[in-house]
Amino acid sequence: MAEDDSEWVVESIVGYLGSPEWVIPVTDFMENKCTVFDAEDENKLSYTEIHQQYKNLVEKLLENYMQEVGINEQQFLTACTSPYAKSKTLQVVFQPVLATDDFQMFRSLMVRKNMELQLQALRVIKERNGALPECLTDGVDVMTELQQQEMKILEEVLKKSKEEYDEEMSRRVLLEEEVGSTSSGCSDNPMAESSKQLISSSASSQEISTVKVNGKSIISEQRKTAAPEGGDGKSAAKIGSSAKPDCGSKTVESRVLPAVRAPVKCDEPHASSSPQTKTQSSSNQTAETWLEEAHREAGFSKPFTELSASQQEQLQQRAAYLRQQRDKLHALKREQQKNKQATTTEEPPTSPTPAPTTTPAISAEERKKLQKRKHLADKLKEEVIKK
Amino acid sequence: MGEAQKGLLSVIEKLKGTTEQEVRIVLLGLDNAGKTTLLKSLASEDVNTITPTQGFNIKSVASHGMKLNVWDIGGQRKIRPFWKKYLENTDLLIYVIDSADKKRFEETGLELSELIDEENLKGVPVLIFANKQDLATASPASEIAEGLNLHTYRDREWQIQACSAVSGEGVQDGMNWICNNIVNKKK
Ligand SMILES: Nc1nc2c(ncn2[C@@H]2O[C@H](COP(=O)(O)OP(=O)(O)O)[C@@H](O)[C@H]2O)c(=O)[nH]1
Ligand SMILES: [Mg+2]
Repeated sequence: MAEDDSEWVVESIVGYLGSPEWVIPVTDFMENKCTVFDAEDENKLSYTEIHQQYKNLVEKLLENYMQEVGINEQQFLTACTSPYAKSKTLQVVFQPVLATDDFQMFRSLMVRKNMELQLQALRVIKERNGALPECLTDGVDVMTELQQQEMKILEEVLKKSKEEYDEEMSRRVLLEEEVGSTSSGCSDNPMAESSKQLISSSASSQEISTVKVNGKSIISEQRKTAAPEGGDGKSAAKIGSSAKPDCGSKTVESRVLPAVRAPVKCDEPHASSSPQTKTQSSSNQTAETWLEEAHREAGFSKPFTELSASQQEQLQQRAAYLRQQRDKLHALKREQQKNKQATTTEEPPTSPTPAPTTTPAISAEERKKLQKRKHLADKLKEEVIKK
Repeated sequence: MGEAQKGLLSVIEKLKGTTEQEVRIVLLGLDNAGKTTLLKSLASEDVNTITPTQGFNIKSVASHGMKLNVWDIGGQRKIRPFWKKYLENTDLLIYVIDSADKKRFEETGLELSELIDEENLKGVPVLIFANKQDLATASPASEIAEGLNLHTYRDREWQIQACSAVSGEGVQDGMNWICNNIVNKKK
C-alpha cells in the first residue's frame, strides 16, 4: 500500500472513531458496565468477563466498518502504525481500540468512566442547589465501607482537579475574575435533560482533568529495589531441567512500571491559525486545546483550516460550549473543595483561605453531608443510565 | 508470544506502540502459598498488608530489558475454575507451593498436573517456587520436586527454585532463570 494511502485510511478510521456508529455503542457499553470498576488495586474476576465482552463488541464494530469502507486488516494495521497515527492527539483517539488488547488500559478507562459518572451526578445535584428532595434522603446513613472508599476517591479526584484548576487559572491570571463569575451560573434545564446532556457532552472535557488523577491512583509508584545483588544464593537450592549458566547480569534492576500509561494531553493543536474569540488573548494555548477537543469530538478529520465556514463556526461554538462546561465543573469542584480544605494538606498556596493544615480530617458533619450527596449521586446515576 | 490470536484482535495486538518486549506470566498455586506476597515483593511493594485474593492482581516489572506482566490469580478452591480464563497467550507459568504445608502437597500436585495438561499451556516453561523456606518445617525443594514428579516433564523447560517471598531469598534467582529462558526462547 502506498504511503499516501495510509493517511486517508487513518483519517477515515479517526472519523469513524468519532462517529455515532462507534461512539454510541462503545459509550453505552462503558456506561453500563463501569459501575463495578473501582480503584482498588485488586481486580475482580468479573472484570475479565466484561473485558471479553468489550473485545467482542469492538471486533464486531471494526469489522463492520472495514467492510463498509472497503479496507482490509493489512491496510488497517499499516495505517494505524503509521507515524501520523502515532501522534499524541491520535493516540488518545485510539485508546478505546487498544484497550481490547490491554487489560490495564481497559480497566483504567472503565474506572475513569465510573468516576466521571459519579462526578457528573454530584454536579447535577449541586446544580440543583443542594436541596435534596425528601424522597431521596431516605436511608442515607447506610454507607457501606465500599461507598466510603469511593467517597475518598472522589474527594481525591476533586482535590486534584482543584490543583489543576489553580494551575490553569494562574496561567490565565487576567481572566480570573471573569471566569469566576461565569462559572457560578446554573443550568436551568430540567434535571433529567441536563444530566443526560452532561453525560454525553462533558465526558471529553473531563478527560483531561481526571486522567492524571486516575493515573495516579492506579499507577504504582516507580521504585527501585535495592536488590541484594547476586552471589547470595546461600540456601537457595536450584534444580533444573537443564543446567543453565547463571544470568550474567549482577546489576539486575527490577522496578515497578506504571501499570497504566496515563493518556497524554492533546498538546498538538493544529488550529493554530484560528481566530480567537472574545477576550482570550492571554490564553491561546487553552483555547486551542478546547477547539481541538471540539474538533475531535465533532469527528472532523480534516485540519481545522480546511473545514467549511459553517463547520468552523460549529467548532468554535462547540469549543466555547466545552470550555463552559469545564468551567462550571471547576466551579463546582472549587466549591466542594472549600468544604474539604481541612483534608487537603497539599493545597496549593493559591487558595483564598489558608487551609488549616493541622486538622487531620473533615468534620463528621461534613462527611455526612458528602455521604448524602454520594448516595444521591448513586441513585441519580442509576436513573440516568437506565434511561 | 504464546498462541497467536485470530482475526482483527491480532491486528490490534500489533498496534501497541511499545518496542519493549512484553512477557505474560501467570502466577498460580493454592491459596495461602504466597503468590500475592511474591508478586508484591517482585514489585518492591509492602508485603505486610496482604489479604487473601478474591480476584486477581497484575503487576508489571521491568527486568533484563523486558516488561514482565505478572498475573496473580486467587487460588481458593472456588476460584480455581477461573484459572483457565487467564492462560491464553501465556509465555510462562510460575507455580507457587507452600513448602511447609505438607498436608496439601497432594492437592497442589494435582492442580499443577492439571495445568500442565491445559492446551493453552502446551510447551510453556514452568518455574516452581518452593516458597516459605524460612520456616523450619519447610521441605527442601528437591523433595518437593520428587513428589511432583517433575523429572517426568519432557515437553517443556522447568525449574524448581527454593525461596522465601517474605525475605526475598531465592526470588531473584528464579527471575533470572525466567529471563534467561525467555530470552533464549524468543530471540
Ligand atoms: N513464613 C513465610 N510466610 C509467607 C511467605 N510467603 C507468604 N507468606 C505468608 O503466607 C500467607 C499467604 O500469603 P499470600 O501471599 O496471601 O498467599 P496467596 O494466597 O498464594 O496469594 C501470608 O500470611 C503471608 O505472609 C514466606 O516466604 N514465608
Ligand atoms: Mg493472593
